[in-house]
Amino acid sequence: MAYPYVSDREVRVISTQFGDPEARTLAGAKQRGRYQGLKTALDMSPDAVVDIVKASGLRGRGGAGFPTGLKWSFMPKDYDKPHYLCCNADESEPGTFKDREIIRWDPHQLVEGCLIGAYAIRARHAYIYCRGEFFEATQVLARAVEEAYADGLIGDDVMGSGQKIDLTVHVGSGAYICGEETGLMNSLEGRRGEPRVKPPFPAAVGVFGMPTTVNNVETLCAVPHIVVNGSEWYRQWGSEKSPGTKLFCVSGHVRKPGNYELPLGFPLMDLIDDLCGGITNGNALKAVIPGGSSVPLLTAEECRSCALDYEGVSSCGSMLGCASVIVMDETTDIVKQVRRMAAFYAHESCGQCTPCREGSIWVTRTLERIEAGRGTEDDLDTLMELTAQMVGTTICVLSDSVAAPVQSSVLKFRDEYLALIRRGERVGTA
Amino acid sequence: MSPKEPMDTPFHNPGWAGNTGEFDLTEDQVRGDDFVGSRPLAGAHPSSSASYPYVLVDKHPESPLFEGPYRERFDKILTRYPDTRAALLPVLNLAQEVRGHVSPETMDRVGELLDLEPAYVRGVVTFYTMYNKRPVGRFLIQVCTNISCNLCGADEVMDAFLRYSNTEPGETSEDGDFTVIEAECLAGCGFPTCVQINSRYYENVKAGDIPSLCERLRADGK
Amino acid sequence: MADHADLPETVTLTIDGQQVTVPKGTSILHAAEQAGTQVPHYCYHAGLSAPAMCRLCLVEVEKAPKLLPSCVTQVAEGQVVHTQSDKSLTMRRGVLEFYLHNHPLDCPICDQSGECKLQDYAHEEGRPHGRVREPKRVFGRDDFGGDVLFYGDRCVMCTRCVRFMNEVEQDPRLAVVERGDRSIIDTFFDEGLEGTNFHGNVVDICPVGALLSKDFLFKQRAWDLSHTDSVCPNCSQGCNIELHTRDNLVQRLRPRPNLDVNGHWMCDEGRLDYEWINRGGRLEVPLVRDGKEFHATDWKEALVGLVRELGAGPVRALVSPRLSNEDLGAARALVDQLGGGDLVYRSRRAPEELVLKGFPKLARRRDLAPNVNGADLLGMSRVGDNDGTGGLEGLASHDGIVLVVGDDLEDQPPTFGKEAALYVFLGTHSSEAASHAHFTLPLTTFAEQEGTFTNHENRVQRFWSGLPAPGAARPAWLILWALLAEHTGQTQPTRPEEAFVTVSEFGDVTYETLGKQGVIVTPPTRQEPAGAIGD
Repeated sequence: MAYPYVSDREVRVISTQFGDPEARTLAGAKQRGRYQGLKTALDMSPDAVVDIVKASGLRGRGGAGFPTGLKWSFMPKDYDKPHYLCCNADESEPGTFKDREIIRWDPHQLVEGCLIGAYAIRARHAYIYCRGEFFEATQVLARAVEEAYADGLIGDDVMGSGQKIDLTVHVGSGAYICGEETGLMNSLEGRRGEPRVKPPFPAAVGVFGMPTTVNNVETLCAVPHIVVNGSEWYRQWGSEKSPGTKLFCVSGHVRKPGNYELPLGFPLMDLIDDLCGGITNGNALKAVIPGGSSVPLLTAEECRSCALDYEGVSSCGSMLGCASVIVMDETTDIVKQVRRMAAFYAHESCGQCTPCREGSIWVTRTLERIEAGRGTEDDLDTLMELTAQMVGTTICVLSDSVAAPVQSSVLKFRDEYLALIRRGERVGTA
Repeated sequence: MSPKEPMDTPFHNPGWAGNTGEFDLTEDQVRGDDFVGSRPLAGAHPSSSASYPYVLVDKHPESPLFEGPYRERFDKILTRYPDTRAALLPVLNLAQEVRGHVSPETMDRVGELLDLEPAYVRGVVTFYTMYNKRPVGRFLIQVCTNISCNLCGADEVMDAFLRYSNTEPGETSEDGDFTVIEAECLAGCGFPTCVQINSRYYENVKAGDIPSLCERLRADGK
Repeated sequence: MADHADLPETVTLTIDGQQVTVPKGTSILHAAEQAGTQVPHYCYHAGLSAPAMCRLCLVEVEKAPKLLPSCVTQVAEGQVVHTQSDKSLTMRRGVLEFYLHNHPLDCPICDQSGECKLQDYAHEEGRPHGRVREPKRVFGRDDFGGDVLFYGDRCVMCTRCVRFMNEVEQDPRLAVVERGDRSIIDTFFDEGLEGTNFHGNVVDICPVGALLSKDFLFKQRAWDLSHTDSVCPNCSQGCNIELHTRDNLVQRLRPRPNLDVNGHWMCDEGRLDYEWINRGGRLEVPLVRDGKEFHATDWKEALVGLVRELGAGPVRALVSPRLSNEDLGAARALVDQLGGGDLVYRSRRAPEELVLKGFPKLARRRDLAPNVNGADLLGMSRVGDNDGTGGLEGLASHDGIVLVVGDDLEDQPPTFGKEAALYVFLGTHSSEAASHAHFTLPLTTFAEQEGTFTNHENRVQRFWSGLPAPGAARPAWLILWALLAEHTGQTQPTRPEEAFVTVSEFGDVTYETLGKQGVIVTPPTRQEPAGAIGD
């Protein structure tokens, strides 16, 4: 039940309770099947939980798409040191708005997912790192956690199993880069949220120096359903390599923007034209960013055949990322929007690595100059080279994220740049 | 072409996303106010005591750190992390809650409470955008102008706020009510333009809604 | 965890086509050094943690998907590394271009010019022309307190200084503030580095001209300075240093790495206390007193005249812990030759040690002279107060032979040595208390001679001569051994290494075995020197 619009073509696993205020209460949540998965998991061994998630083929929903079961299996198989589970609820990729919806409509689903995850990786303490701006959503989650504590679902004896698992709702303070897992760990430790060099990987040395797994909200929310219904059940949707369902966040120039839960592999154009009611004002499609602002743009032509799973989007020359579909119609000024994205990255770069610190602002300034009609054709070559120099040279991938929209737009919408450079003409208005 | 054609979105709830016909919900129900209820200043269970960054309308830059219920909350926060350093961010939130912004004195005091060097605290404070380094108005208005909102007219919304408050970005209006700043993506992309005013998100905000929205703020405080 | 005991302790890999074998756990950067390749880097410093954030030491490693930061990537068996491949060079050239994006290019007025890593790397590997068309960001300057000035625009954000203050000085007064391209190094508002004792090191480790010494500001160009390996003369720690000299003056002191003594560091007191070496008004020729008049003379005449006066008799000698082991050994040999007598020294003592927390081997020691242990080892005893004065009542009125070597007697009255049958004063500067000296002989300072000091843990370390001696001044050991040669008619040491081996306390240690790192000597069992006071 995607909120605020629904479509009967959706396959609802995670989003069933969107728009239902009753699901927030513990009683309501239990009535709706929450904590069945936890009960099932506690009757299994932690390794068996890891195995079932592995078998389901669930891939991380935060953007990178790394298999979740495999990630969990990297954790040490003992209790010698404290382990930590961090739930990444620092949703801030432009175009993405799924985690906030999950938290505010179905907080117990997340709590349950965290508890199962913590049990599977032998963590005694899980932190939910919520984005600081999510005051409202965090309050809903906090209330749910308090209820769960009072009911013995969290604490020293989880559901009478003898397992001790604590859960803390932690809030960030405004930094996109804290959504990067090592940046998140630094931030959780009370430091500047600067990503760390890997290796060591979090499973060896993570938050507070201990083995840690970081999972996205949506990933953890899928886990209870997989545990209850089995891996084969989950694999009925999607493809062999990208099984399951995924929340697609559609924004931009569509009539009915919002979250839609769909099986992976859903055709992009069906999503836009059918579920979202088509482009606003009946305009023509110009471009789509299929996975949040960090991935290359697709032209309208490339969208025709695009299937929304990790492989399908890759083969069209972009990435699924966190499945945030930003739709741009013919009125869009690509140069302006790319400049806005570059400015975002310049603002959010942590400043550690020089290529990112200097490159992001350099690219932004150059785009500003082009936008103001003072660009040259050489600038386009410089932009391509600068962004190429930013790819693969830094600790995290924020730097690569600057390159993606800039490079793809210069290649695919060169005419719009040239119109500004040669004639001072803007192509779009939005 | 005029800069902004009217969008033919099927619904328009100025201020919040809901009630599209598929759902019949009030604003309070969508926001979860009914469920959350009134939250104690001392924090409830320690597990969530670090998650109370209220932005209060009434702020006192000289308020003591931390007394009464705030002291209780401070103590609860400390119990949730293996070391005191990790409590830094939530404690700074707490300090900002009572003082409205994080001044050098606040950094110094928080550093003292957590046994951290003031320079280190300053490094952390300046890394995060949610710590106000200067006093802000009663209402801190953060307008998302990132791509999804920008495609749907966020720049006009930003301008409308600035016109209404008669300020430049980052300035506080003469009456001390409004500080308008540009924000990065607030994760409300499906409901453009997304605006955060103190703790609260306002979605589906259009430039034309600004005067009535600001009047509502002045009258109700939210 | 896997048991590593059965794995080999060394790893063999190929770097730029050359096979190298290094201990397990070595970084590629260090292994490349062994293969003769310097990989450019800013953030990495041997004495600090490695954040791998400057991204300049990226090298191509076969089978790795991306270029790897060589400073933190450990070597692996059979690895094939290319530090100079097209891919590595292109990538590094790209990274370097970003360093110059906001750099003010003010080399002509920058103190670091000539020893600047940005200059070096941009010259070696950078693009020939800049492509920046945007206005540059301006931060301006800031006084960080203490001896440190900050030029924000030149900063490359390597954070070496921040990490030094965090990890080594362990007083984190510097931090990176703001983020992204606004990020900059700063202190806590008005609070600076005052009161910290090792902050001068942040200037040394700054790879560019962002952190500069106020003391050295606009004083000399780096390429004009001569560098001489030496040992810090300002306390008994014996930090290994370089004397940077020009125009016959010491311009600054810089630490020289010696992991057994001072790591990569030195203290601020030691660093900034060098003007005394440059003090003018030096004694430049031997002086012989005739009644109330002093006559300048040459060495031959002075020594022959002196030997003539040298009868056997009770000798009382005052030496200085600023003298080298060779000097002290020669002084003792002379006293022994004359039938023995007291050898005493005076030394200033600070109330407390200033320990470098992150490298506790290093401290500004209480003894504020480099060779107190040398003097103790040679059986000399300490007299006087903790401020280095007094304690000379017996000596001042002694009626036999009075020998003063290296102590300038500043606190002593003009009547000093008035009663002496023979009063010989060897020093760098004359003083009122030397007015009764029959022979006044000019000495060199440690900076003008070769020799050794024995530090607080009895480590004997060599230093070299970085300045020419003024006039006819000579090292004390050379004067005293020449005197003995004249006196005994036998050949005596004429080179410092010969003078050194005459000191029996050093056993079979020679200049060769000392090398640059020094050697700890075990003092022969002897009773505690009597009269050691001041504790």
